[in-house]
Parts: sequence; C-alpha cells; structure tokens
Amino acid sequence: MTNAVLTGLVLGGMYALIAMGLTLQYGVARIMNLSYGEFLIGAAFASYWLFTGWALNPLAGLAFVIPVSFGISYLLYRVLLTPLVRRARTRDALEVDSILATFGMMFIVQGIMLTMFGGAYFSYSFLAVPVTVVGEVLALNRLIAFGLAVVVGLALYLTLTRTRIGTSIRAVAVDPIAAQLVAIDVTRTSALAFALGGALVASAGVLISMFLTFSATSGVVFTMKALIVVVMGGVGNLLGCLVAGLALGLSEALVATFIDPGLTLAVNFALFLGVLLVKPAGIFGRAQR
Amino acid sequence: MLEVSNISVTYGQHHALSDAALHVERGEIIVILGANGAGKSSLLKAIAGLLPSPAKIVKLAGRDLSRLPPHEIVESGLALVPEGRGVFGELTVAENLLLGANPKRARAVEAAQRAKVMTLFPRLGERLAQTVRTMSGGEQQMVAIGRALMSNPDILLLDEPSLGLSPLLVRELFAALRKVRETGVGLLLVEQNARESLAIADRGYLIENGKITGSGIAAALQSDDAVRRAYLGGLASEAI
Ligand SMILES: Nc1ncnc2c1ncn2[C@@H]1O[C@H](COP(=O)(O)OP(=O)(O)OP(=O)(O)O)[C@@H](O)[C@H]1O
Ligand SMILES: [Mg+2]
Repeated sequence: MTNAVLTGLVLGGMYALIAMGLTLQYGVARIMNLSYGEFLIGAAFASYWLFTGWALNPLAGLAFVIPVSFGISYLLYRVLLTPLVRRARTRDALEVDSILATFGMMFIVQGIMLTMFGGAYFSYSFLAVPVTVVGEVLALNRLIAFGLAVVVGLALYLTLTRTRIGTSIRAVAVDPIAAQLVAIDVTRTSALAFALGGALVASAGVLISMFLTFSATSGVVFTMKALIVVVMGGVGNLLGCLVAGLALGLSEALVATFIDPGLTLAVNFALFLGVLLVKPAGIFGRAQR
Repeated sequence: MLEVSNISVTYGQHHALSDAALHVERGEIIVILGANGAGKSSLLKAIAGLLPSPAKIVKLAGRDLSRLPPHEIVESGLALVPEGRGVFGELTVAENLLLGANPKRARAVEAAQRAKVMTLFPRLGERLAQTVRTMSGGEQQMVAIGRALMSNPDILLLDEPSLGLSPLLVRELFAALRKVRETGVGLLLVEQNARESLAIADRGYLIENGKITGSGIAAALQSDDAVRRAYLGGLASEAI
C-alpha cells in the first residue's frame, strides 16, 4: 500500500509538472500544442545521449536541456506560430489553427526521432540505488525526480505570483485586450509563456528519463495525460495541475497495484469523466462568463 | 499636448466615425458628448490604437504616435480607461495597480504615483488583497482609473467612467478627476452625464452620427439651446 502511494506520488508529481507547462502554452499563448509530448521525449533522448555519449549526469544535463528547449520553443512560436496568431481573428480561431499546425509538427518531430533512434525502447541506469522511505524501498532516482519537480513547480508558482513579469503573463491569460492597455506586448509575452512551457516539459522529460523507459513514439501518451490533467484541474490553473496531476498518478498506481496494470488508462478516463460531470470547468475552473 | 486628426473607423460597411479631429492641452478636461451609437467609444479606441484607423494622425507633445501598437502608445504617455473598465477581474487590486505601472516611464515614479492613487481613492488602500471581480461597480471603476494613473500618463482617456454609479459616487468621481487635472494631466472624457461633466470641463465636443458637429468652451455649450435640448433636457428659457 505505502509503496503504491509513493509510486503514485512520484508519477503524479511528474504529471503535475508536465501539465503546468501545457497550461502555460494553452492558457496564456492560446496554442493547443499537440506535439507537446514529443518535446518531452526529445528532452529524454537528449538526456540519454548526454549520459551515455558524454557521461554527463542528467541533473547537470538539465542546465543544458532547459535553456536549449526554452530557445527552441521561443523560436518555434516566433517563426511558425506567430503568423497564425496574426491571421486569427479570435482566440477560438487560433485554437483551431494551432491544433492543425502542431498536429503536423508532432509527426515531424516524431519522424526525426525515429530516424535518429529507431522505434526501440530506451533507458539508462542513473542512481538506481534503493533507499528506504517510510519503511518502503524506492529507487533514489525517483526520489530525486520528485524533489526536483517540487522545486521547479514552486519556482514557477512564485515567479507567476510574485514578480511583475509573472503577473503580466497571468494578465494576458485573463484578458489579452486589457493587457495591451497596461503596456504589455501581448505577442512577446505569449512567446515567453510558450517558451516557459517548453522548458518545463523538457525538464520533465529529463526527470522521467531517469526512471522510465521511453521510445520515439511515446510522446502522445504524455500529451494526452497533460491534456487530461489540465482540463481536469481547470485551464490556466497551477493549483489545479497539482491536485489533478497527483490524483491521476495516485489512482494509476493504486489500480495497477491492487487491480490490474492494464486498467490504468481506463481509470484515467473514469476519473476525467467523473470530475467533468461534477465540475464541467474543472476542479478549480470557473465557468465562462 | 495631444493632437489627433483624420480619425475614421469602419466596421465592415458601416462608417462609425469619419475624419474626427480634436486636441487636449495639459491640465485640461475635455468632454465628448453624443447619443448612443454616435461613435464616442470608437473614437477613444482608435486614438489608443485598439481599433484600426489607417489614416489617423496622433501627436502627443510633438511625438508621432500614429503608427504605434497599443502597448507602445501607453508607453508614450496616453492611457485609456475603456468602456466596461477593462480591469483584470481574476487578479487582486494590488496586482492591477502593479500592472498599471508596467510602462518604463512609470517605474521611476511608481511609489509616488501609488501614493497619489491612494489619496485619491482611499478605499483601494483598504482593499489591496481583494480580487477585483468581487468588488462593487464603483470600486472596480476606481481600480480602472487608479490602474491607468499608475502608468504616469500625460493624457488620460476615460470612456463613461460614471456609468452605473450612484449620484453621490459620481460627484466623488468627478471631484477626483478634478484633482487629477490639477497634477497637470489632460483628461479626455466621454460622458452621458452631460450636466455634471460640463460642470467640470474646460471645453467640449459634440458627436452626431460619426461626425464631430460642434465644439466650444464648456460654459458656452451649457447655455447653447441645441445642446440643452439634446443633452440637458430642455431649453434655457424652459429651465427657469
Ligand atoms: N464591433 C462592432 N461591430 C460592428 N459595429 C459596431 C461595433 N462596435 C460599434 N459598432 C457600431 O459603431 C457605431 C458607433 O459605436 P460606438 O461604440 O463608438 O458608440 P458610442 O458613441 O460609444 O455609443 P454608447 O454611448 O452607446 O457607448 C454604432 O452604430 C455601433 O453599432
Ligand atoms: Mg460607448
């Protein structure tokens, strides 16, 4: 039981982290990024490559992967997505356009990874030493991944709530027209939020690669989980990401341990539908005015 | 201080405003009067850059703002309090005011500006942590004006600030606007409340069907028969 809960918490922490990045891209920049999970896998491969090829510790690898993914996402928004933003008359139109564009991008990124690494599953052994937590044995890499997810999530929360730039990012999410009236460059701020989301998902990719196997085609699973968590928690709500992410991770681990590992996807959707039936706008979401 | 001309706004085939021109000097209060749908909000939005008006000319203190996007127009010293306030309802009063001071020109004087806003609207100081969405209409209007003042503007555009306020609050609001004027800010005010706004204004413009049809000093407009009939409810002779 304790072991299932611990596993669930670690997994849930990862889901929450992944969802926070998506909620930034979707809630602020209004880009529904269907290639989101591909960037997670891309970061996982980068970490694998740095570790096996250059003997670089994945935690040190973060210092490389985070700025690079931030830069790539920023350029992606500026070069590929800004034309869509400019031609979209409404935010709803932008959502539809962005779904089509990023759906295409998903195949491109996936194709590149397939040609580079093939379709096999990859993993590497880093800090796979057992540690005892509340009487249960857990791999140290999972514990470290969880700890770092907490640190990154907290840093994001404090940035968004305590700094001027973070408050500007939230202002764009709330009302992009009014944001212009307080001298916010909405396109630049959206690009920033999109890039921040890209950096978050990349950091999650590195952390996850430390303890899970992955392949060039596993990105879509993470995109789907991130979507479920974001919608379940309430779009644009960080606390919602945390609560929904942990709920998803815990329910998966408990079902896999006590019923059947094959049922994790089913329990995902049962939880998802259950929440939306009771609260259509998500746990912390507010119905549209 | 602010000089605008050639302002035209079209919505599809509909010409909401054609070739409007006006000017506002430092420390002046200018009121724009017009019936519903005359084009008043369109005029302010076009000046602030929120609506396209391809041939417009906007000059503030000699600087050309005609082609700038809205966020740079605010940077240049022109702030708009839009119709329906445009406050960030999901954020707190403190966060709204913090965002108001976003322009670079506002950062150096942020503390002083904040102190000014607090003296003008003491209620905001008591409610800094309140989510704006949960405030009364009048309080939200104070947040909207306070936020615009935080940007340290040279010219403040206000679209029907008295809408939905009780007569007492309207009087308080207009007294506050007069104090803002004393700090050297020029105010361009769109109002339905012709009597009260002409009382504090220096000059006024009349808009009908998308055209500026008249202008003059406030006292002259107050006693003008056509103005009285249209906006003040009766002729001078009948009022006695
Ligand atoms: N988004 C829009 N699409 C189409 N027509 C519009 C739009 N906005 C305004 N109009 C039209 O343009 C004209 C001017 O509108 P505007 O909002 O500037 O009027 P106003 O003088 O501010 O009126 P009010 O006193 O009611 O606020 C009106 O006829 C209005 O119907
Ligand atoms: Mg109007």
